[in-house]
Amino acid sequence: MSKKYNENFNIPKHLEVPMGAVIPAPVKEQPAMKTGNWRTERPVIDHEKCTLCLNCFAYCPDSSWHLDEKGERMVWNPIYCKGCRVCVEVCPADALRNENEMDFKGGMARLDKPY
Amino acid sequence: MSNVSTAKAAQDLYEITIWCSGVTQDMEGRHLSLLLANAASKDGKHTQAWDNYADLPDRVGVPLRKYARICDEEIEMRYLYENATPHMSIVMNDVILKGIDVLRGMEKGGVLVVNTKRPVDEILKLIPNKDLLSAIVTVDATGIAGGSGLESLDFMGSEGGVEATAVGAGLSAPLVGAAAKVCDKFTLESLVAVAANKAGVKEGNKQAVVKTL
Amino acid sequence: MAKETVMAGCSAAAHAAKAARVEVISSYPIRPYTGIMMELSKLVANGDLDAEFVHGEGEHAQVSIALGASASGARAYTGSSGVGVTYAMEVYSPTAGGRYPLQMSIADRALDPPGDFGSEHTDVMSARDQGWIMGWAETPQEVFDNTIMFYKIGEDSSVMLPQFCCQDGYFVSHIPGKVSIPEQSQVDEYLPAYKPHLPLDPTRPSSHGPQIYPDQGSAIDIQRAIAMINTPKVIEKAVADFNKQFGRNYSPFVEEYKCDDADFVFFLQGAHCRTARYAVDHLRKQGAKVGMVKLRFVRPFPTEAVAESLKKFKAVGTIETSTSYGGAMKGGNLIHEVRSACYDLPKGPAITSFMAGLGGEVVTLEEFYKMAKILAEAAKKGAIDQYVYWVNFDKGI
Repeated sequence: MSKKYNENFNIPKHLEVPMGAVIPAPVKEQPAMKTGNWRTERPVIDHEKCTLCLNCFAYCPDSSWHLDEKGERMVWNPIYCKGCRVCVEVCPADALRNENEMDFKGGMARLDKPY
Repeated sequence: MSNVSTAKAAQDLYEITIWCSGVTQDMEGRHLSLLLANAASKDGKHTQAWDNYADLPDRVGVPLRKYARICDEEIEMRYLYENATPHMSIVMNDVILKGIDVLRGMEKGGVLVVNTKRPVDEILKLIPNKDLLSAIVTVDATGIAGGSGLESLDFMGSEGGVEATAVGAGLSAPLVGAAAKVCDKFTLESLVAVAANKAGVKEGNKQAVVKTL
Repeated sequence: MAKETVMAGCSAAAHAAKAARVEVISSYPIRPYTGIMMELSKLVANGDLDAEFVHGEGEHAQVSIALGASASGARAYTGSSGVGVTYAMEVYSPTAGGRYPLQMSIADRALDPPGDFGSEHTDVMSARDQGWIMGWAETPQEVFDNTIMFYKIGEDSSVMLPQFCCQDGYFVSHIPGKVSIPEQSQVDEYLPAYKPHLPLDPTRPSSHGPQIYPDQGSAIDIQRAIAMINTPKVIEKAVADFNKQFGRNYSPFVEEYKCDDADFVFFLQGAHCRTARYAVDHLRKQGAKVGMVKLRFVRPFPTEAVAESLKKFKAVGTIETSTSYGGAMKGGNLIHEVRSACYDLPKGPAITSFMAGLGGEVVTLEEFYKMAKILAEAAKKGAIDQYVYWVNFDKGI
């Protein structure tokens, strides 16, 4: 190209993008999209009533319920639960109830950006 | 020609950022920015009110931002995506404070208005950078407006449309009344004039608790 | 009495379509133009507008529906954004070549990859060879006015061409501004009913788009060229009549802002003209002799008017909000047109181009000042150092 065309461009660091904007995807959890701060209510479990039917695990759109390592109790993941209340609706043992998120300390990743 | 690259236009803009929850509070959040802009416009100022483009299309519960700007002269940079330095931040759903830094970009001396039933000190514990604030206002707007507080289900005004229902009929009315207590860019009279729920505006102004910091 | 409102570009386009009494609306959602169809669906459902509202299964179907409606004699209205515009690409030539003056309201959006809602003119500019009238609006008021003016121009019997009525996505389509809506009777007086040349009618059978031998191909193509040659006269009259009827002040082809004693100018179209005006004001306070030239129609490109306007200046910088990868000037589209228009001038300006506002990025006042510095140098020297500057990535700016 003639000298009237620039060939050396200076892309600022914060605007650098991989080729074609094709990026590797996360395997287990997506750390760049923590949706826990979307919820207004959180599901609270009564372990006495829970029958380990795994309905909550199957229905949750954010995979926020899973069985612990020993296979004895359900564990709730607060980082991604959006408070959609589907688990409370589908629990056949009435073991889940909704409670206002403000009644609990912590349980949310504090973000600089919304999501 | 030496000063061409430094010719600056520093405008004195009052910036307001509103945080609300997606879908259920989208309309009320937008009405809040419209009420503040319309009231300031009635008082003779130049205003802008718009939604954050990247937060839409909204999903249930996602934190949304709405913006308003007030200026004594014609606003020059109209085409921006965000308010970089908000002077007032209004939070429509207090749970948002748990997970998000709503004072992002604020310079020292800003104000925060929160819709909550809880006492002020409990709210302040959730804000690590509260030293930026000159005052915090709390009001139970949900209680004053009636209903569960999660009630806007009319989307005609989003995506550049015209509002189909009356502006300021619900949750936004008491919040603007509360905001008037810590800001002189709009008067309570103008807010009452432009809102549909006039009693709500006055009640919000009456019940709002201001704590200077 | 005109109604004074504050609304965004999307609503302005919808209310203008209502004022223009469109008869068939063909819709398909894509952000950011989708607000236009949301608003129109509300108007039709409430009975404020008596029109057929049809939903296509994709943009290709959407524009085909509008083509069929226009071929049947209805005033048809449709729209799209970004990749929707390119999805319907097949239908643009049949529409222009068949001389169906439907209107497509475009709110720009950057093309993929990746997903970007921001405004960039490339989506519609990539269809500019098909024979459609095309022009950008700077404010919601201009979106409203252009909708009505474009129908008047496109439906003129010596033109009969479809139109792209364009606005920048988000900047104009989603940020509200003042819009004055005139009385319906005034609009009816300005814009008469659509008179098709040979509409589809069971009582008078006609063939639209039949098969031909190649030797007739250029004879049919030249019809569109002749229509485009006729269009500037029609534009001048339509804009003058519009200004008189509604009290506006539009120039037909280029609008000059503070250009009387300018040494160098910004040349651009669309939303960023608004910021450019304030940049010119501030630069003039610093002593710079700068102006702005706003392009109102990119098709038909007003070659003579552009040459007439630009010959006064020592340097011109086109601000490109669209791309032409691998093009002759290795940058955008406007520079090709402007250089061609100015080629025959005995002493034309030095012309360079700035790639700014791509992908929806904001063109700030500071960026205008940087461009002005380069143009001032070029005006002094009478020559440019570089043909293209990428405003964020070039060390020279």
